[in-house]
Amino acid sequence: MKVYTCKDRLTDIMTCIYDAWSEALRIGHNQIQLKKEPVFQQTLFDEYIHIDGDASRAEKVIRSIRRSISEEAYLNVYYATLCADEDSLQAIYNFLRVGFAVGSTVLGQYTNPHVMKLLEIRRRVSNEAHHFREFARFQSLDSKVYVCHLEPKNDVIMLVGNHFSDRMPSEHWMIIDDNRKTACVHVKDGENYLRYLTDEEFETLRQTESYEDEYTDMWKTFFHAISIEQRRNYICQRNLFPLWKRKHAVEFKRVQEGSPHSFPFLLH
Amino acid sequence: MTTSIVNENYTTQEKLQILADAAKYDVACTSSGSSRRGKKGELGNAEACGICHSFAADGRCISLLKILMTNHCAYDCKYCINRSGNDVKRATFTPQEICELTVEFYKRNYIEGLFLSSGVLRNPTYTMEKMCETLLLLRTKYHFNGYIHVKTIPGASDELLAAAGYLADRISVNLELPTEDALRSLAPNKTMQNILNPMGKVQSTIASHRMAIGKSAYMERSRGNQFLNHSIFSDNSKNKFKEKLNAQNTDARLYGSFHSEKHLQKTASFPGENKFCKHALTWENACQLAPLDMSDLRRSFAPAGQSTQMIIGATGESDYTLLQTTQALYQGFDLKRVFYSAYIPLNDDTNLPQLGTPPPLLREHRLYQADWLLRFYGFQATELLSESQPNFNELLDPKCDWALRHLEHFPVEVETASYATLLRVPGIGPKSASRITYARKYGRLTFESLKKMGVVLKRAHYFITCGGKQMYHTPIEEAYITRQLIHVDTKDLWKMQHANETYSQMTLADFGIG
Repeated sequence: MKVYTCKDRLTDIMTCIYDAWSEALRIGHNQIQLKKEPVFQQTLFDEYIHIDGDASRAEKVIRSIRRSISEEAYLNVYYATLCADEDSLQAIYNFLRVGFAVGSTVLGQYTNPHVMKLLEIRRRVSNEAHHFREFARFQSLDSKVYVCHLEPKNDVIMLVGNHFSDRMPSEHWMIIDDNRKTACVHVKDGENYLRYLTDEEFETLRQTESYEDEYTDMWKTFFHAISIEQRRNYICQRNLFPLWKRKHAVEFKRVQEGSPHSFPFLLH
Repeated sequence: MTTSIVNENYTTQEKLQILADAAKYDVACTSSGSSRRGKKGELGNAEACGICHSFAADGRCISLLKILMTNHCAYDCKYCINRSGNDVKRATFTPQEICELTVEFYKRNYIEGLFLSSGVLRNPTYTMEKMCETLLLLRTKYHFNGYIHVKTIPGASDELLAAAGYLADRISVNLELPTEDALRSLAPNKTMQNILNPMGKVQSTIASHRMAIGKSAYMERSRGNQFLNHSIFSDNSKNKFKEKLNAQNTDARLYGSFHSEKHLQKTASFPGENKFCKHALTWENACQLAPLDMSDLRRSFAPAGQSTQMIIGATGESDYTLLQTTQALYQGFDLKRVFYSAYIPLNDDTNLPQLGTPPPLLREHRLYQADWLLRFYGFQATELLSESQPNFNELLDPKCDWALRHLEHFPVEVETASYATLLRVPGIGPKSASRITYARKYGRLTFESLKKMGVVLKRAHYFITCGGKQMYHTPIEEAYITRQLIHVDTKDLWKMQHANETYSQMTLADFGIG
């Protein structure tokens, strides 16, 4: 069996699919596997082939998905490329096999496990993007620049950024993915772009996290005043706002002992 | 002002503490129903799905900056924490303070917009004028383009109501209690008339505005409703509702809600759209009436519609009355949402439950479930409850309860059943029903694939067949299925009913020893 591997970027993934597919035409789809790098444990008898991104081959794959399947299908595939799961690349490949065989009706075929798998991945990614749209918190640096730190599982900061470029077009802001060290940057009245941060830049930007002003305090006041004691329900709160998503939400941040805003309920 | 403790030297933070605390009993914190793109040079947009930004310790979402403009109040409603007779800290925000809080919070992505309500400062018109001033400032000077939900004060003048509609996305007035009698005993300064009047005016203005921009007069409802000809939003059902209203002189009990018979004469004038004509605000004269020419703002009139809320458990209404009222509000006033608020005793009064009575959370939950059945599943209030069964079953959700009383419709064959029939099966919702209708065009269904599509088989499998077979050999018997279904949910139910009980080790001191 041949295992095609590539980095976790759209161009690389699409190129990898192109090469794997052309090989499959020779040796059969069942003899092909796709994996994202890094591959932690290689099997003994399989051949591993690393593929580098190439814009023209990637372009061809994208074009034929949009033409022969549908725009909607491409959107689903695009979301799946953002997914952090190890098997997401294989899931895309399997979906495309079904998709190219049956055409635009593929998205309605909920009974097909390959289709269902891709739709699940898409749902997971878009749900996560939606959650971070909700839970992103910006720190204001003298009301000039707004900086937000996130630690999403899937690579959703550009999706989150799209939302904010419509919402705050005339502000300077950036959203930083602390795990991937990337930033979605928006310049006042401009377009969003993605930037891979150097370690130095990242360390500097990290410090904005501790920046607090009067509105941070007021927000904490509001957050505590608005809950009704007689209805308290921490389980419900945790279901809707899981602990791992709270990392950068100021209202849950721990403050020094004895201050009025310590959060005893985090321990429940 | 009847209260004497007036200390207006509070800082903004202290005011926020007082006025957010005073506003927390208002339920509606939704930011949905309005879809608007952002603009360069302005701040904000609105998403149709609504966005929650945080979840408070009670598990309720925080979507909007929910505050009162002031908690000074001239009224003395017995259930309310801010009633004039109560000795609580009172504060008032200035319009600038509200605007700055909103804009700064919004830029930090803490909130989705503003929810502005207020106690009655001096008189309703004065209060409403202040609120409109705040909103105008926020929309014009601060260029805020996000979501605004404003509560109207019953009794405020028409032109202010119109102005509020142009400035806000959603406008609402609280019904609080579903019957005239209850309102008289608990809220002496309010009448059904002056609550329903503004509701009717807003409805007709929204309708005329929608028609002027080429939409249908009625608010958009969930997509599935177009396939349900039995639902409360279907033309069929709307016509029936109108007929009932026209026939109301012959039989008052028919439209089940706003009607104790002795008030029939008085109440007869409100829900009918035909009756509104004489005091209806058309789009044109609302524009003329509004203090500033609001059409300059180029905003649509309350694009997210209107909503209301009712208190559950303060008075003795049955769930049947509440649900009938809800349905009448959806059909008669085209409300977008009706909210329920489990009553939390705050004031000591003989007419009210004692202090310390736990809020009826399970009942509230059942009512919301039923509300969803009305809006998304094509049920009618009369199907779910009746005179002989006026309250919801504590152990079963309303849909299971209905299904068990109508076992003659089951089992349903998922491969051939219509969308409307599928929706009535417990464990199948709008999403899974529509997936089923798509999927069966291309292949056979199996229980495995149904599960993947989101059908909750632990509930559904008693009521469906797939390819002519049930999942297990289970009898279609009421007693058997009831027993099984109750067993499925016992743990969750117990948790909900006992959510706020705490336990401690027994000590000798409990028995007076030691």
